[in-house]
Amino acid sequence: MILAYIDPGIGALIWQTIIAAFVGFLFYLKKTRRWIVEMFRKIFLRGGKKQGAGFEIPPPKVEAKIDAK
Amino acid sequence: MTPAPAPSFRDPAGCCCFFNQRVLRFVTASAIAEFEDFLQTNCAHQFIAGKKFVSTRRLNEEETATLRESPELRPVFNAQPIGAVFEHERIPFPSYPHEWAPEMLWNAGRLTLELAQAALADGFGLKDATPHNILFRGSEPVFIDALSFERRNPGDPIWKPHAQFIRTFLLPLMAHRLWNMQPADIFFTHRDGLEPEEIYRWCGPLERFKPRTLSLVSIPTWLSRKADPDDQKIYQPHLLANTEKARFILESLFKRLERMLDSLKPVAQKKSVWSDYMATHSYDDPAFAAKEKFVNEALREFKPARVLDVGANTGHFSALAAQADAEVVAVDLDAACAGAIWQRAREQKLNILPLVLDLAHPSPALGWRNGECPSFLDRATGAFDGVLMLALIHHLLVTERIPLEEILRLAYDVTNSLLVIEFIEPKDEMFRRLTRGREHLHAALDVKMFEQACTPYFEIVRSLALPGTHRRMYCLKRKGDGN
Repeated sequence: MILAYIDPGIGALIWQTIIAAFVGFLFYLKKTRRWIVEMFRKIFLRGGKKQGAGFEIPPPKVEAKIDAK
Repeated sequence: MTPAPAPSFRDPAGCCCFFNQRVLRFVTASAIAEFEDFLQTNCAHQFIAGKKFVSTRRLNEEETATLRESPELRPVFNAQPIGAVFEHERIPFPSYPHEWAPEMLWNAGRLTLELAQAALADGFGLKDATPHNILFRGSEPVFIDALSFERRNPGDPIWKPHAQFIRTFLLPLMAHRLWNMQPADIFFTHRDGLEPEEIYRWCGPLERFKPRTLSLVSIPTWLSRKADPDDQKIYQPHLLANTEKARFILESLFKRLERMLDSLKPVAQKKSVWSDYMATHSYDDPAFAAKEKFVNEALREFKPARVLDVGANTGHFSALAAQADAEVVAVDLDAACAGAIWQRAREQKLNILPLVLDLAHPSPALGWRNGECPSFLDRATGAFDGVLMLALIHHLLVTERIPLEEILRLAYDVTNSLLVIEFIEPKDEMFRRLTRGREHLHAALDVKMFEQACTPYFEIVRSLALPGTHRRMYCLKRKGDGN
């Protein structure tokens, strides 16, 4: 854990915490968006290979191979 | 020799000392493992290889035992349980934020953020974010406070030095952008930069609501007014179970700070009193060419390894010295000029360190017991093999009322070998412009008097009258022992 010896400020620290909460919400939005994109990809790419954890967007090279097959 | 403290003794994990021309870092027993782990990370390797991070080696048992026996270092070993000693490379001429051009402060901020981001990828956090962690090697910033990294808790989404980064980088750059304040105006009196509350008072009502000011100044000010100063909960870590989320939050914070910093980048080539000097100076082409040739010849003949260019303006002659393979420190009182030199040095890859400094009021020693930032003259004395004082002497004589002998004595203290100085007669147009009715004060000053004044300190190697001017160039060699 970072044990700061510098002055963390008051206002700036609270403001950072508020922004962190907001960005944390964005993190879930982003994750959900990725999940939806991935689900559609799986549905429309028939016979597509399984992609790792399910949240990864496959790199273009792999897709080209799938299409070729 | 008493070890002089360097600016990192505030960190409980260790301290740093200059000792016998070496930079030593004393690390407490509890902090060694983490420090060494950090030095093994990709981040440390990558930045050391890129010369952006000070190279560091651990002293072996024998070397450490020798240091322990040194009576001068005994207080350092006794003050805290020192587990190991590390040695850093020495950066040629240390400079401090109060001597930097705004462009340099901005660049130091960029390096701080780059390091914080790279360390995050390796599971480490930067525990302070101040320009005092950085020195410049030529025009390039180097992170020197190697102990500033600590293994971070993966669930912690808060960067504690966030406020310090704002105080010491963003708000000074904002003050420069809004009111043309220079780093010297801020860091001489505010070691830890500017508080949002301070800037808030200076801002008009409209400025307070502009997006950048709102985020950096107004909202933190309003929140600190509302917060209970005794509420310790604010400072407690808010750990998240999802470490991926914590990292995402930190990455987004660094990106946001990077965008803020970019939006505060000092505007290049900002006009100032002296920034147009090279285009408007009083020499015609043959005179300037003769001056350039004279300086070049002196540099080729003496081959100084380290050169101080005083009153460097936009760095034309500093560049000549750097092209002659010298490490150059170029000082000028005009921050816009120093900024222009920094830009030029980076573009042309010249080894020039530009500093904002008035030789008549050089930076004093600053910090705790005046020991954290040594004065400019302490650092400069005997540190150069060559000094250039071109088109400068009349400003010191007339505007600053410094006696001629004092000017030569200072040059004698600073250089180990060469002094190239331009003598300007009182009938010179620029000299007369400065005297403003005080011509009688310099009536006796002529070439003969100047040469006599030089004699105790320097040997005149050669001189050259610049055609069509009342100016004369001198190439002087330092005598072994001045009076």
